[in-house]
Amino acid sequence: MSGNMNRRSFLKVMGWSGAGATLAACDMPTTITLEEGKEEVVSYLMPEEYVIPGVGVWYASTCTQCEAACGIHGRVREGRVLKLEGNPDATLNNGKLCMMGQAGVQGHYNPDRITTPMLRTGGSLAPISWDKAMAVLQEKLGAVSGDRFAWFTGSISGHQSALIANHLGAMGSKKHYVHEIVNNAVSQAVNRDTLGEAVPRLRLDKAKMIVSFGADFMGASQSSVHYAGQYAKFRTNKERGLFVQIESKMSMTGGSADLWLAIKPGTEGVLALGIANVLLNQLKLGDAGIPSDVRAMINDFGISKVAEITSVAGDRIQNVAKLLVDRSPSLVLVGPSVEGHAHGYDATSAVMLLNHILGNVGKTIESSGNFPFPQLMAKQGSTADLLAFAEDAKAKKLDAAIFYGSNPAYTAPESLGLTEAMAAIGFKVAIAQFPDETAMMADLVLPVDSYLEDWGTQVPPIQSENTAIHVQQPLMERIHEQTRGLGDILLSMLKQRKNDEYNQFEDYYAYLRNAFAAMPSEVKKSAKNNDEFWNGALQTGVIDVKPEPKTLTSTVASFGVPMSKSGDGNGLHLVPSARLGLFDGRHANLPWLQESPDQIAKVVWDSWVEMHPDTAAKMGISNLQLVRVTSAQGSVELRVVLLKGVHKDAVAIPLGQGHESLGRYAKGLGVNPLKILDKTADSKTGELAMYSTRVTVTAIGEPDALSIVRMGTGAGDSQAGRKLVVTVPVEQVKRTEGV
Amino acid sequence: MSLDNILNHWSDFRKGSEEGGHHNYEHRWAMAINLDLCNGCNACSIACYSENNIAVVGKERFEKGQAMHWLRIERYWDQPDKVYPEQGASFLPMMCQQCGAATCEPVCPVAATYHTPDGLNAQVYNRCIGSRYCSNNCPFRVRYFNFYSYYESSWPEPMEQQLNPDLTVRDKGVMEKCTFCVQRIRTVKDKAFMEDRKVRDGEMVTACAQACPTSAIVFGDTMDEDSMVSKLWKKHQVERGVYQKTKLAKKNTDLRGYRIFEELNVDPSVMYLERVREDI
Repeated sequence: MSGNMNRRSFLKVMGWSGAGATLAACDMPTTITLEEGKEEVVSYLMPEEYVIPGVGVWYASTCTQCEAACGIHGRVREGRVLKLEGNPDATLNNGKLCMMGQAGVQGHYNPDRITTPMLRTGGSLAPISWDKAMAVLQEKLGAVSGDRFAWFTGSISGHQSALIANHLGAMGSKKHYVHEIVNNAVSQAVNRDTLGEAVPRLRLDKAKMIVSFGADFMGASQSSVHYAGQYAKFRTNKERGLFVQIESKMSMTGGSADLWLAIKPGTEGVLALGIANVLLNQLKLGDAGIPSDVRAMINDFGISKVAEITSVAGDRIQNVAKLLVDRSPSLVLVGPSVEGHAHGYDATSAVMLLNHILGNVGKTIESSGNFPFPQLMAKQGSTADLLAFAEDAKAKKLDAAIFYGSNPAYTAPESLGLTEAMAAIGFKVAIAQFPDETAMMADLVLPVDSYLEDWGTQVPPIQSENTAIHVQQPLMERIHEQTRGLGDILLSMLKQRKNDEYNQFEDYYAYLRNAFAAMPSEVKKSAKNNDEFWNGALQTGVIDVKPEPKTLTSTVASFGVPMSKSGDGNGLHLVPSARLGLFDGRHANLPWLQESPDQIAKVVWDSWVEMHPDTAAKMGISNLQLVRVTSAQGSVELRVVLLKGVHKDAVAIPLGQGHESLGRYAKGLGVNPLKILDKTADSKTGELAMYSTRVTVTAIGEPDALSIVRMGTGAGDSQAGRKLVVTVPVEQVKRTEGV
Repeated sequence: MSLDNILNHWSDFRKGSEEGGHHNYEHRWAMAINLDLCNGCNACSIACYSENNIAVVGKERFEKGQAMHWLRIERYWDQPDKVYPEQGASFLPMMCQQCGAATCEPVCPVAATYHTPDGLNAQVYNRCIGSRYCSNNCPFRVRYFNFYSYYESSWPEPMEQQLNPDLTVRDKGVMEKCTFCVQRIRTVKDKAFMEDRKVRDGEMVTACAQACPTSAIVFGDTMDEDSMVSKLWKKHQVERGVYQKTKLAKKNTDLRGYRIFEELNVDPSVMYLERVREDI
């Protein structure tokens, strides 16, 4: 636009010009600039390129609301992004987007964003300028060297990840803690040991039967939209896929099962051995490649013994095993409730062993191939890194740390002593969009752009058949003048260290342009020159890459008995369940997601504890009663919601609430069950055993229907004889639709 | 529009349904929702909030039943005798069914809700006086009343920049509900008109259908015989019209298509496909 006009000069121009200009001005909208305090009427006399007043244009970018990195289209009208949808060019999510992705605009426009750099002075954070902030950063980091400096992030990929690695290199440190509470680190370890690949490609769409041990693949998983798309194919295949879910607390995905089996928490591995026993000893499947100690262990777990340990009926076990043979190829999935125990590696190995016995490897579990740009690949988070970080910090091994995209102060259980650990770090920097718990502990806070304002590349950790890099571009100008892109902050920090190397890049945009230009010709394909390649990538949001083909191995490594070594123990098992929506708590500040009922319990704006009615009756606890849930580490107080989708030996508390910070929508609502978890870790991988904490529940108040808000829970959640959702047997559909 | 005109229109469409033929419709927008694919994930509901400027009311007002979710996922448990819900949960996406013979329409004292030649049950916000008779008369409970102004509480600065300029933010005292994304319909129809052609099947997608990760929701025009939604309705032998007619039409009662509260003779525009379970 050729300079800003105020209304008066605009009218002057109108007066001078002829009828044409006046006509063109008829439906000119007025816009108000985003700069604070300045309201100007800006004409579209010379519209900016691609801006058609009143017409929304869709631009491609990438979602960063969870690590899945789905391709998105953002509708931009008059310089504002209004709505996000899935990008149909991204085969990962095929034009679809989950609730968290849709709500991304609410993070972008959130009223509680950090809008200026802040430095801790005299105990509290006070605004400073960027120049001052960068000077402080240079001074403080200049005094640190080697492994006494660390980065702490959530899952991260693409060129931002590469720059973090470069910054660590420049600092002479190797410490990059990557932490996610919702992760599959244990199964990655098992896959690495048995399949030779940490993240193989799962093909739900090719399976005729899926048995999922606690994998909430369509809910809080590593790529929920991708798996939901595959699930739809699985269900609509000519032979309708059969879906069995086995878990202690019904997840959203479990709600879609043909057969949902409640299992005693922590015994999933034993059930897998029981199924293996039937497969090998009764149905005579081959046991090639199974080490003799594992084979002996399988023999040891006969049906009646397994039924007793797991509380799953023997005929059910037999039937599931038989169906797995009838409906080949099948797919057996493993989820966090199996992984999250001291025997998590063993249990996960036992479940994955079924895929080996059933011959699913190579059929429904394929190799993802070798990604051609290893430095851009997703570094996926774990809880082992959180534990290691807490230990290192407490042992005073860290002088400075930079936090981005992760909130350990919220996710770390009290038993890790994170407050003490954080206090032991001399200088803490948070690159943050929101005032979350970690940012509030930092000494220097750098306000970062939202993902809708920033450049970047994202490599989805789970890839579709078309392996791709997803491109992230700003969909609008930054709302707050004082925020900066992550890439730009990283470049500034690198320039402080290696000016000669990074001075050539004016900003992160220039860096990315350069990086794209340097991509090999097989990636650029038919693009005639670098500009064409760049523009094409921005248009589609997707860069297809060819991974180097690879074959999976199907070996079985030895593993231990997949059950608790310390005996049955006392108290109820605590299931800290993550859900699509608030997820691990990071989205608690998005009001759409707070007001969106939990998929199973249908509660909004709150925390609650799910209990089986029989368990509650035994303890004299009734629905909606206020209770105290106590572990060895502490207690939380919240209301009970009685649901039958919880095993009688378990109670479930959803993650997401209990924020002490994070803005007006999140603060002060509900409780955070992560705080009362034991410090137990998986013995092989060092991952936090999130599902192994025992609790007692005591009533401390009377039932109060008004204290917890649920959507439409009249008539005991039943259809009361009305024909609302009708369920029909598959045989009927086979006759009519031939599925 | 005079009152005569409104009443004539209404009785036209109302009769049309009873006689089983619909006439004078330009389009007749409809949905087919496959409950076997719905996993209850809420993507549709949030897409609806995003597209339609729906207010967030907060915990206290939600508690009083004042939530504005035009599209909600209901969840039912169907095995009361079992110790555990072995066949999972039953999810039901519920939004305005855009009834052909809507019970909300005749009770409006000011004709703020009326039938469009698109087969939509439209709500004229400017005309609404907030009597709430329509909501009281809706068997699906899908009409939502603005008990308050939500400008400031729901969209604190700069949240208001997200608002979709293609439709209004409704104020206190006004009834609102799912419109089948009428602003999107308008855009698509305008575009087709400018290009001198008919609206193509698949060109018009509601926000919920667009978002659905399992593609459980199919939207389209039942006046277009080749549209996917027409084919689905035909395949499952669900017809527009009232109960007696649809009952006769359904020769194979094993087919999965059904409309909720068919027996009320309201002629809903949403066909659901029954959820399937394999008993093992």
